[in-house]
Amino acid sequence: MSISTHGAARGHDELGQVFAALADPTRRAMIEALLREGTTSVPRLTAELPITRQAVAKHLATLDHAGLVERAPASGREVRYRLRDGALVSAGAWLADAESAWESRLARLKGAVERRR
Amino acid sequence: MAERTEERAAQPSEAAARREVEIEASPEEVWEALVTEGGRERWLQAPEREIQIEVVQEPSRLVWWWTGEDEPPTRVEFEIVSVPAGTRVIVTESEPAFPISLLAQSFARVAA
Repeated sequence: MSISTHGAARGHDELGQVFAALADPTRRAMIEALLREGTTSVPRLTAELPITRQAVAKHLATLDHAGLVERAPASGREVRYRLRDGALVSAGAWLADAESAWESRLARLKGAVERRR
Repeated sequence: MAERTEERAAQPSEAAARREVEIEASPEEVWEALVTEGGRERWLQAPEREIQIEVVQEPSRLVWWWTGEDEPPTRVEFEIVSVPAGTRVIVTESEPAFPISLLAQSFARVAA
């Protein structure tokens, strides 16, 4: 099945971590900020989001653990974070695989049901 | 759009593949092809994955969990809607956070 190909680039546990990390709206907002701005930091995210500094740091740690973000080379004393290269590719690949598999399955479902009429 | 029921809203997953198709047949005919093993054999072609049914709302909504040795568990939801030309089937496959899907599997085992 075409759906079984999605684990090729990344282990299933890792992919599960990526999805789990992306399942939280706050963490998605952080990813969006990174897509928009390139790098970010705990103080900057704390100013943008309605959560505490501690919560920001915790969410960043989750994103880091899932391999989605990494520390950017230091500029000054502030620790900055950026998206890890290719981090979102495997999640996107899973979706593309799953949608293409369902495209075929639904076409077969349609054929099977309509043939029996 | 069909309204989101409570137990669906409780799912935190946002990584979801979504596809739909229109079939010239009644919702009941489509339902039979989705809910029965014999019906699924005619089109699903995924024998390596085990199906555990979570929600059965005949003939408008069906949810199953898909598990397989080499696959992460996924949740597959079908919405079956009557339309003038026949029936629209909307399928959403999502890969929820692991603890939730494993929890669902253990519930399914207890219920079985």
